[in-house]
Amino acid sequence: MNLTRRITESFSNLTRYPMRTFFMMLGCILGVAALNLVVGVGSAVEQRLVKTVQMYFSASSILVTSGGNPFGGGPRGENTRLTLDDIEAVAAALPSIEAWDPMQVLDPAALKTGDASATGRVVGASDRAERVWQRGVTRGEYFDATAIARASRVALLGATLSRNLFKDDDPLGADILIAGAPFRIVGLLESVGTDIHGIDRDNEVVIPISTMLRRVMNVDSIRGAKLLVRDPAQVTQVARDIKSILRERHGLAAGQTDDFTVVTPMEVQNLVANTKRVLFIFLPLVAAVALLVGGVVSASLMLSSVSERTSEIGLRRALGARAGDIALQFLLETSSTTVVAGVIGTGLGVVTARLIAERLSLSPSLPWGAALLGLLLALVIGLAAGVVPARRAARLQPVDALR
Amino acid sequence: MAMKSWLGKRQPMHRLKNEKEASVIALEGIGKSYDKAGIETVHALRDVSLNLARGELLAIVGSSGSGKSTLLNVLGLLDRPSEGTYFIDGQDVAKLSSDEQAHFRNRRFGFVFQAFRLLPRASAVENVELPLLYSDRKKIEGLAKTALESVGLGERLAHRPSELSGGQQQRVAIARALVNEPDVILADEPTGNLDSRSALEIMALFQRMNRDGRTIILVTHDAQIAEHCQRIARIERGRIVSNQRVAEPKDASVALAELPFASGGAQ
Repeated sequence: MNLTRRITESFSNLTRYPMRTFFMMLGCILGVAALNLVVGVGSAVEQRLVKTVQMYFSASSILVTSGGNPFGGGPRGENTRLTLDDIEAVAAALPSIEAWDPMQVLDPAALKTGDASATGRVVGASDRAERVWQRGVTRGEYFDATAIARASRVALLGATLSRNLFKDDDPLGADILIAGAPFRIVGLLESVGTDIHGIDRDNEVVIPISTMLRRVMNVDSIRGAKLLVRDPAQVTQVARDIKSILRERHGLAAGQTDDFTVVTPMEVQNLVANTKRVLFIFLPLVAAVALLVGGVVSASLMLSSVSERTSEIGLRRALGARAGDIALQFLLETSSTTVVAGVIGTGLGVVTARLIAERLSLSPSLPWGAALLGLLLALVIGLAAGVVPARRAARLQPVDALR
Repeated sequence: MAMKSWLGKRQPMHRLKNEKEASVIALEGIGKSYDKAGIETVHALRDVSLNLARGELLAIVGSSGSGKSTLLNVLGLLDRPSEGTYFIDGQDVAKLSSDEQAHFRNRRFGFVFQAFRLLPRASAVENVELPLLYSDRKKIEGLAKTALESVGLGERLAHRPSELSGGQQQRVAIARALVNEPDVILADEPTGNLDSRSALEIMALFQRMNRDGRTIILVTHDAQIAEHCQRIARIERGRIVSNQRVAEPKDASVALAELPFASGGAQ
């Protein structure tokens, strides 16, 4: 038996019916592409999620935000009752808190310098933010405690804003207007890209919290604070203590809901786990359905092709083909179509995933598992729908197949 | 190419000459019955016995439904008889496994069908190469081309069946039957779909193949076609009712030469 001869023959069989071969492949191509696309984008989103969580929410951090229930979707409490004093009192009462950083946000805010203007997020933070949020400056200096005490008009500029306002000029030392008030740029923030909500964290300017509250927003409430606990094992206990201190300070009676939210790493991990479930179970399931539908289309074409070709099988048997020769022929034909379709589908899915990931400024990754699974499924479809019925036809008496 | 030049060609058949003893196809008491819907049993063949010597040209004639095609299918190992024995050269071929029969068909038999049975999208050469695909031959290059040339289609190697006339398509099928150099040709109504001139051309080819030493069994319902054969076996309702030598078989190439107009296919 000459295998090259058989392979050549199988390929010419496929090229003789280009439309049939094309549609046989199309089902597999689209299904495999959908699977790869979903898993590719999903894993890119997951990477970003994990990266963001690691960056902002280590195992020993607690997040306190004003207003109740940010994840639960229930009614929010009064949004302006959390103050710097609240957090200071908490930190003073609980020695296991080693550092904390308050935060107030003005978004969107108008930013100007000379003729250039831009819209961005203004964040008020303390001098400890560099350490608490693990985000420093690439050039210049982070503002210090003195700047906080004096409520200085100094600002740290994010990369996107720097590009929008200064283009190629050096922003360091320049003045900008934030909500109409002049500030001096003393540092350039480290670039962190887009967060999981799709917000560009480089389109940000950070100013001292005191300046933010007194001179920019004229409020005494803060949006929230991040607190670092010395011992990660104590996080749950500390969170409970924070709650009771804040409830007492806010004069909440038993039965009244919190007007603030305390988020612990555990809750964040639950959130991440839920998101992962969507990304890696639900979405691939949808893609698997797409693959199944594509597979059924390919399979039905192969099945009808085999029954159409029963008399061809009979002829080949009459001319001396053994049952195994027929099986080999259909194996070669269907496996080459499905494998080629699988490879094209994988390529299509991976490239599309890459394009989408780039648009969302995520880092794309090649989903090996999904690619292999897609190829394997395509092959199984080919075997089940192409080879099995062909073998059955080959086992007929040649005269019955010839009819 | 003129008809006579390729009819006159003789291909040396070394393999046939080396097998000295007379080949015998021997059917003994062959019966073939089908269960029809599980109720009645249809006897397509009853107690058929038939002997052929090597190099015979036999016509099996009968009306439609008489069992002549069933007999040819049994002879060609395309169907298994319900009873009886079938020996070729002393070998009990009916007892061979399905795959062994396939191999036997590939080496020893060439088939020609009424409906040509060419792969519609494949070229003439690709169609003729089909039996070689399943043969043990190491080298197959050029064999299909030679076979097509021997039936006068050397100019139409790359043509698809749809680009050929019926007579030409049947000649492609004959080239396919010859390409593996079998010693037995089995033809089921080979002229059934053809006009009388093409039919004569095909018969001339069969007679030439017969002169080359091949045993040929040809099923037909056309008495005129049968007269080109050396022997005629008549079958009625599954039984062979007569088996007679033809005193003077007609020569198809002579009849062709006498036809008033030249054939398009063989020019």
